[in-house]
Amino acid sequence: MRNKAQAAGKKTAFRSLLAYGKPHRRQFALVFFLSLLAVAAELLQPYLVKVAIDDNIMAGKNDFRMLLIICGVYLLLSVLGFVFSYLMNNMLQYASQSIIARIRQDLFRHISRLSMSYFDRTPSGSLITHVSSDTESLNQFFSQVLLSLMRDGMTLIFIVAVMFHLDAELTLYCLILVPILFLIAIGFRQYMRKTYQNARTALSRLISFAAENLAGMSLIQAFHQEKEQKNRFADRNRAYFGANLKEVSTNVLFNRSFDILGGLAVAFVTWLGGNAVFHGNIEFGVMYAFITYIRLFFQPISAITQQWNTLQSATVSAQRIWTIFSAKPEVKDADEPANVDSRSVLGRIDFNRVRFYYEEGQPVIHDLTLRISPGEMIGVVGATGAGKSTLIGLLCRFYDVRQGSVTIDGTDVRDIPQEQLHRLIGLVQQEPYLYSGSIVDNVRMFDESISREEVVRACRFVGADELIGRMKDGYDTRLSERGSGLSAGERQLISFARIIVFQPKILILDEATANLDSYTEQLVQNALRVVSEHRTTIVIAHRLSTIVHADRIIVMRGGRIVEEGAHARLLELHGYYAELVRHSRGKAESARKGRELG
Amino acid sequence: MKSQRVLVEYLQGKWPYYLLAIAFMAAGNVIQSFYPRIIGSFADQLKQDQLTEAHIVDYGLLLLGVGVAFGVLAGLGQYIVMRLGRLFEFFTRGRLFDHFMTLGEHFYSKNGVGKLLSYVMNDVTAVREAIARGINQSTNSGILIVSAVAMMLLSDIPLHLIAVSVLPLLAIPWIVSVFGPVIRTRSLSVQEALGKMTESAEEQFGGIRVTKKFAAERIMSARFGAEVDRVHGKQLKLVRVSSLFQALIPFLGTLSLIIAIVYGGYLTIHQRISIGNFVALTLYIRMMVNPLQQIGGVINTMQRSRASLDRINELLSKAGEIQEAEQAQARDLRHAGIRIRHLTFSYPDSNLEALHDLSLDIPPGTTVGILGKTGSGKTTLMKLLLRMYDPPEGAITIGGADIRDLTLESLRGQIAYVPQEGFLFSTTIRDNIAFYRRDSAMSRIKEAARQAQIYGNIVEFPERFETKLGERGVTLSGGQRQRTSLARGLIKNAPIMILDDSVSAVDAVTEQKIIDTISAERQGLTTIVIAHRISALKHADEIFVLDEGRIVQRGTHDRLVSEPGLYASLHAIQEEGSRDAE
Repeated sequence: MRNKAQAAGKKTAFRSLLAYGKPHRRQFALVFFLSLLAVAAELLQPYLVKVAIDDNIMAGKNDFRMLLIICGVYLLLSVLGFVFSYLMNNMLQYASQSIIARIRQDLFRHISRLSMSYFDRTPSGSLITHVSSDTESLNQFFSQVLLSLMRDGMTLIFIVAVMFHLDAELTLYCLILVPILFLIAIGFRQYMRKTYQNARTALSRLISFAAENLAGMSLIQAFHQEKEQKNRFADRNRAYFGANLKEVSTNVLFNRSFDILGGLAVAFVTWLGGNAVFHGNIEFGVMYAFITYIRLFFQPISAITQQWNTLQSATVSAQRIWTIFSAKPEVKDADEPANVDSRSVLGRIDFNRVRFYYEEGQPVIHDLTLRISPGEMIGVVGATGAGKSTLIGLLCRFYDVRQGSVTIDGTDVRDIPQEQLHRLIGLVQQEPYLYSGSIVDNVRMFDESISREEVVRACRFVGADELIGRMKDGYDTRLSERGSGLSAGERQLISFARIIVFQPKILILDEATANLDSYTEQLVQNALRVVSEHRTTIVIAHRLSTIVHADRIIVMRGGRIVEEGAHARLLELHGYYAELVRHSRGKAESARKGRELG
Repeated sequence: MKSQRVLVEYLQGKWPYYLLAIAFMAAGNVIQSFYPRIIGSFADQLKQDQLTEAHIVDYGLLLLGVGVAFGVLAGLGQYIVMRLGRLFEFFTRGRLFDHFMTLGEHFYSKNGVGKLLSYVMNDVTAVREAIARGINQSTNSGILIVSAVAMMLLSDIPLHLIAVSVLPLLAIPWIVSVFGPVIRTRSLSVQEALGKMTESAEEQFGGIRVTKKFAAERIMSARFGAEVDRVHGKQLKLVRVSSLFQALIPFLGTLSLIIAIVYGGYLTIHQRISIGNFVALTLYIRMMVNPLQQIGGVINTMQRSRASLDRINELLSKAGEIQEAEQAQARDLRHAGIRIRHLTFSYPDSNLEALHDLSLDIPPGTTVGILGKTGSGKTTLMKLLLRMYDPPEGAITIGGADIRDLTLESLRGQIAYVPQEGFLFSTTIRDNIAFYRRDSAMSRIKEAARQAQIYGNIVEFPERFETKLGERGVTLSGGQRQRTSLARGLIKNAPIMILDDSVSAVDAVTEQKIIDTISAERQGLTTIVIAHRISALKHADEIFVLDEGRIVQRGTHDRLVSEPGLYASLHAIQEEGSRDAE
């Protein structure tokens, strides 16, 4: 049952990927035609030699002119073969490269359109593999497997055709070989696939083990675990060696059995053909051509079987790519989106009896209602898992509410086109992400429609100007590897400038200052104060010092709002918030504070 | 020739096997080269009407024998050579990995994982390919060519006919060596472009959340698209030469054949050579095309792998920066105090002093806090203590002994280091916690997990402590990772423990619980807490404040808060909110 479903999946995967070949079908047809000519030119050669032998030399006609003509034809054919195979190769590669480029771009665009929850589930490493390696092995399918199937398949057909033309009876005898070949191939196929896959698996274990150990080397050395890790590496190395040897020996055995079969075929033809020549049924030239052809016969077959592994991995890749293509974004724009003029948005936010769960039966947000006025600054506190970040995810519509609604200025976020919604809300997270590129481009997210002046103004605004001025090329300094040269605080300042440039109506800081040292944090805090003016601002923090200034603090626990109000008022409640404050200050001090408050 | 070390050492041990393999292949190929001759003499006998039915059977059997012998002998040789190649790979990978273990922080700070992996994967494979395929093909082709030439010379075919016919073939190795480098540079640039594209994908997917939040999907797709186009362009450039090359070789073979037919045919017609010789000549020429092409290919593979071999040898000759002294001693550090005197240190390749004239004492059994901003030298100090970098002689002593005179095992084995990142390996949680001794008792592991406040999270997983982490397993959150890493340090129950900003991603409530547990558990043991947040270290017996590599303040929390300085101002910033509210 499952096999059937899998086979069906394989088929649709390939069919839909072959659809990419459609725009190039003329090129493929031309390639087919050219390869026909190239193969023909090559394969007629032994036939011409046969003609030269039988009709001229053996016949004792001593007609040198005829021989010259034959050779002239031969030369012409080879020149044609040379030109055609060159053209064909180029054409095929051009088509297949264009297809791969299209698939890559489409795949990327498709992935970037998927919903946030997809990226929660799928590690970015595997996405990278799909876009680069899987498409590369598809490329090999187009440029190698397809080429081989075309050229070698055609060669086979040609050979059989010429052989039939030379002598049908002898050809029929030779065709006895075909089932034998098939039997050998089928017998080996299963086994070869298994050994190939085993070797691949062992290799990827080896690589990932090495990669991880290199990354964690300082830890291994600090714990003095060199010997233990060496042993573990040796285990994997040995396993790979073993799997590899199996693969190698299977391949050698397979290729050699073909070789031996080739020898057998030549002997067979000599015996059969020799007798026929002896009895005058055929000429020696025919036998000569037969021997040459039967040797040629094995080349395309073994070339095609060489492609098995490539075909195998291309199939797997095609399936994986297809799986991604068939993933649908979970959050979709409404069919009739509301028309929101982003300039006139005030920034009122309402959570109306919102319920949410990631997995059924495990609610994360219970019937939550919260109203935030335009320009208000809200602090959200609570322990890990209280649902703070989920709340933000719902507002940004990374996930859709299961019940209730979230509205901005009274418009349901589900009715606002996502692109517009995301521009309305500026979200700063704990780990600022910078791209490789200049500072200017990082601040404006490569959007050329935002001028350099705007970028500079924004940086000045958040206090990043001084820092950038100290860099080698100022605003044109190229950041390498995600801004690795900058400290966490510096990166965060730049990401603040990014927010300013995009002028969101609603600002959300999700643990944006958790990783900063106190000085940078203060810089960032100042920037925040500037940015949050006239903007609805939501600040999530487990470090309470960041939110004590908030107009209102929301205390969350287990997906519910348990307390809300200004800092001073919440302290007076002596509730959960007061407990959180106590913990964050340490016991000695809270005791002191308790006395003072009392 | 010192650069050939790995390979030379390997070949020195294995040459008898290689000799055997070459002998097998040689025998197979010599036998194979009889095949055109057999057909040739068949033709001659036929022409001279000497052929009988018995002869025909003999010819068939002879050819069968040639085919089977070639298949078996060459196959055996090929297998031996390939096996030896894989064995080389096995040995060299093992050696590389062992060597990686001896290299220090400084080396890893300059060489990324990707680069080092390419030694293990690409370079080793390239050398293996060169020796396996190189020996296989050059033996096969060399012998085939030599025996074909010998056969032709031994036959009655006139020398000048052979010379003229073979002429175009001689161009093949030359063409291969001309095209080879061009193809190589172009394919390298394809690889490079592919690498860039992968990098771009890595960056884009890593930042997908940011991209989506700014609704910049279209711009990012365009950025990626530009990389894809670059790959496309480079591929086509490569194809243009490589397909010319692929078409050219068979063409030269055909030219040879045409000359042989015209000239040989002319001579045959005028009965200066026999029909048998004519047939044999054409077959010999066909036989030589492939081997000649292969020899050219071998030359290219050899050149390419030469660079790889050099890289491997260079890496292996790099000595680890941290060497154990010859008379290094193992010592019990249980009641040993740490003493640092006038420690000045700058990183290799840097003129800036990371630490300047630092002196401090950590009496055994105390808890010490080290506070400072990013880049103040806190972590550098810890790396020196663990001897990840070499401190100046005599600058750091533990229990009176210079740490450079201790064995690495006794030094590192008795310090539990908990780094900030909380790096975990992709094995079970149990293996991660019991990293210092994989066979630790389960009860110890559970206890450490409880102390690090991670026990509750672990038991929620269906497989509890046997849960696999990493790519094929569970992904922990930043705080969970830090706590697991903390458990890994706590289980050691080491005389000295270093917490390097180890709980920065843990929320305030849990942080306090952890601090309390550690204080209780580590009674009488030395603990060093590094942090930039005061809450994590104010319970310490003594706190050192580091700024730009110097100690600017020292004392207890209460004293430091009351004296003007960095500590008090940091305290003010961190507690500012609370004070405002009062």
